[in-house]
Amino acid sequence: MNKERLLEVRGLKKYFEAGRPALFSRDIRKVHAVDGVDFQLRHSEVIALVGESGCGKSTLALLLMGLEDPTAGTVTFEGRDITHLNDNERKDLRRKIQMIFQDPYESLNPTQTIEEIVNEPLLVHGIAKDKRERDERVKKAMEDSGLKPAEVYLNRFPHELSGGQRQRVVIAAALVLEPEILLADEPVSMLDVSIRAEIINLLAELRITRQIAVIFITHDLGSVGFFADRVAVMYLGRIVEIGTMLEVLEKPQHPYTKALISVIPVPNPRLRRKRIILQGETPNPIDLPTGCRFHPRCPVAISACKINDPSFVSRSNSHQTACLLLVK
Amino acid sequence: MEKLTQKDNLPSSTQFSEFWRKFKKNRMGLVGLVMLAAITFVAVFAPLIAPHRSSSILNVGVSDIYKAPSAQHIFGTDDAGADVFTNFIYGARVSLTVGFFAAFISIVIGGVLGIVAGFFGGRVENILMRFTDIMLVIPDLPLMVVIVALTKPSLLNIIFVIGLLGWTTTARMVRSQTLAVKSRKFVLRARAIGSSQFHIIRRHIFPLVTPILVVQAVLVVSLAVLNESTLSFLGLGDPTVLSWGQMLNYAFGRGAMSTGAWWALVVPGFGIVWVVLGLTLLGQGLEQVLNPRLDTHHLMPGRPNVKSTSVALSRNETQPASGKSLLEVQNLSVNYVTEGQLSARAVESVSFTLKEGELIGLVGESGCGKTTLMLALLQLLPSAGQIVNGQVLFGGRDLTTLSDDEMNTVRWSEISIVFQGAMNALNPVRSVGDQIAEAIKKHLTGFPSDKISTRVVELLDLVGIAADHKDHFPHQYSGGMRQRAMIAMALACNPQIIIADEPTTALDVMIQAQILELLNSLRTKLGLAIIFVTHDLGVVAEMCDRVLVMYGGVTAEYADVDIIYNEAKHPYTQELLKAFPDLTRPKKKLSSIPGYPPRLDALPAGCRFAPRCPVVFERCHQEQPSLHQMDGNRHIASCHLLEASK
Repeated sequence: MNKERLLEVRGLKKYFEAGRPALFSRDIRKVHAVDGVDFQLRHSEVIALVGESGCGKSTLALLLMGLEDPTAGTVTFEGRDITHLNDNERKDLRRKIQMIFQDPYESLNPTQTIEEIVNEPLLVHGIAKDKRERDERVKKAMEDSGLKPAEVYLNRFPHELSGGQRQRVVIAAALVLEPEILLADEPVSMLDVSIRAEIINLLAELRITRQIAVIFITHDLGSVGFFADRVAVMYLGRIVEIGTMLEVLEKPQHPYTKALISVIPVPNPRLRRKRIILQGETPNPIDLPTGCRFHPRCPVAISACKINDPSFVSRSNSHQTACLLLVK
Repeated sequence: MEKLTQKDNLPSSTQFSEFWRKFKKNRMGLVGLVMLAAITFVAVFAPLIAPHRSSSILNVGVSDIYKAPSAQHIFGTDDAGADVFTNFIYGARVSLTVGFFAAFISIVIGGVLGIVAGFFGGRVENILMRFTDIMLVIPDLPLMVVIVALTKPSLLNIIFVIGLLGWTTTARMVRSQTLAVKSRKFVLRARAIGSSQFHIIRRHIFPLVTPILVVQAVLVVSLAVLNESTLSFLGLGDPTVLSWGQMLNYAFGRGAMSTGAWWALVVPGFGIVWVVLGLTLLGQGLEQVLNPRLDTHHLMPGRPNVKSTSVALSRNETQPASGKSLLEVQNLSVNYVTEGQLSARAVESVSFTLKEGELIGLVGESGCGKTTLMLALLQLLPSAGQIVNGQVLFGGRDLTTLSDDEMNTVRWSEISIVFQGAMNALNPVRSVGDQIAEAIKKHLTGFPSDKISTRVVELLDLVGIAADHKDHFPHQYSGGMRQRAMIAMALACNPQIIIADEPTTALDVMIQAQILELLNSLRTKLGLAIIFVTHDLGVVAEMCDRVLVMYGGVTAEYADVDIIYNEAKHPYTQELLKAFPDLTRPKKKLSSIPGYPPRLDALPAGCRFAPRCPVVFERCHQEQPSLHQMDGNRHIASCHLLEASK
């Protein structure tokens, strides 16, 4: 695998304004959606971003796509800062980074046929002006996405397809631009279990056949298992643990990761385990806790956690965790 | 990959033909369309239809004025001795011309403003919508009168005045539709592709706003016709052409009332009413067809259907549930019938037993009949659903034979249900505590009213919600808390059984774990029996005692949870397990089940799983397998392979 960095995220932050606490108050409250995220993505690597709702993973996706402007920090793609681009540069970049959405029922325009949907990116970018060439590309993207034979689907409307087929259409419409990165935001959470495997297997295949790097955003660690190279666990706008898939799943360091892993149901009644169930829910990202932002829910927090914001501790070259308990 | 039948290969129906198919069934819309078509025909072919020339005021004498209807003038003559019927026909031309052109102007302005305001938002929206509000507040008619009075009253002026003042409602409706469409994910996807804003408006916003525009256009035309008539009646019309309003104006002003020449007033009045009524009916019809939100009646739960008597003969043979079993479902079958025809065999011959304090998992992909089965237990099937066979024995009674009133005493008080998607199941404008209190009042009639509030707090405490959240509204609750509130509501009347229909599907893993833990603790604390409907095999493995795997409306396998996960006999169960990620074996590659569950209205002839089964053989395509019992009665599976191996 080419180890060259394809995408590099540094100190990325996104705050949204959430109005004033009182009518004539001066300060404006801020939602700290993404609050200092760093990671790298290599060519044809699969990284899973895992976290509960409200941890900022979807905002992070929009930032990476350039659909939101960051408050601070940089995203570098192939050595070029892509956070401050003009419209034309941005449009060119879109060909390289494509996105798949959570809800395949919502992410297709019900008035367009499948052909129009998959063809649209080519029209938008003025690629393959020749009709025959365009048809070829559309057909290839569809068949690569498992819509075989493509002819059967071309003239259909989204409502005539099942959820899994729709998600394949979304994938085909992304592939038709031949991107280098696919950003998948919970692409299977709305689908049935049997179809989830199908879509994940398809993504796993694409990273081999098309050398595509995948950023897989999910709240379900269980669903990325065999497929991800690395896993990054997010909590309240930050990555709290990052490592290879086996490191994170088998030797989780952060108490949050441990809890997350412990509650994933195991499909074997003989392995009913002790679950670490965190009480309450992710605090709102307006008033962040002091110190370590996980301390109010942490089952093993010590008094120092209320004061000190932990920085990363390395367990190996690839495995870092932000937890005070690991500082020796 | 899914096998595609011949039918699937046919080109998909176009949207217009789909629209027409629905519209044809809409009587109101059709009547409106015919009315409008008739009057348009008359207007277009006026010279051919009119009995006299439009300006045949030759040789008019005093005796020709206001002549009563006769063979020569079927609707009499007017104040100038002209044929009223002829004027009526030519008047249709003027009125419709003004109506259509003015409406066109209004729709274009309203559509553009609405889309621009809705799509761009922010300051643009603010300015445009405030402008629209001001226009909306100014009374149209006086303004029109002033403008027309100040300008030359020509037909063109009237068209412009009506058109330029009639766009406000359109703008508002289009804006709100644009806002709704804009927030949908395919617009975000279009941005992610790199589409320009113009492209997004043209390709993604406009097609979805069109239905609203069409309905609105029809209504605006009728408004324009009315406005034109009013202006002309007030004497502000173009004196060189004769519209219906103009006819009324002349007749009214020149003594038609005093001379008793009713025809001079009634005929043009009829024209106006005809057009406005036709357009209104057409508009209503179009709205019903084009607005999907109005088309949900067949999904509403209807009156519970009483089982047809011919198949309920064996009832008296069965003894009431004995010993520890609480609920016994025997050979339950549910059909969906639409327009008198069997459209789907949604559940067929499903049996299971729920014991006291037991947790049974009901598993299968979407469209396998799980939800239908649960709704059938509670007699909450939509009106098209009918229980055609089988029994649901509970407390010595067969629930399928109970009347609606009798069923009300069972529902909620004995068997209650927790739905998927707690946000939609809670009323957003009433506090959570209120809604729980209502559930108590409604189902426990004798409950002392002074104790209700204590009971609500007690229930909330039971599900882990602090008492001070009692008066909060659902939107102030997080997703997990809402689901807890739903559970509290289900517990309100101390039921023995709770049906949990995908209670954790939309929740995060940690919240899911909290809810599962809650259900488990309630089960031990209150001795509840739970039917857990889900497609998540992990949850089932963690929680359940017994598992019923459904496929295509029938039982695939039914056994103890350990057997299901370790010694499953049905290929569907085995395949389902292979498709489920297992964290303890992260390197394991997932295998998916090719294809999709059968549509319940197009079931295969033999085994319903045969088209997707990896070990299918010939018999499977011809014959539906019967239930095969193993291990006494503890393990049931329906697969031909089991008989072959015996």
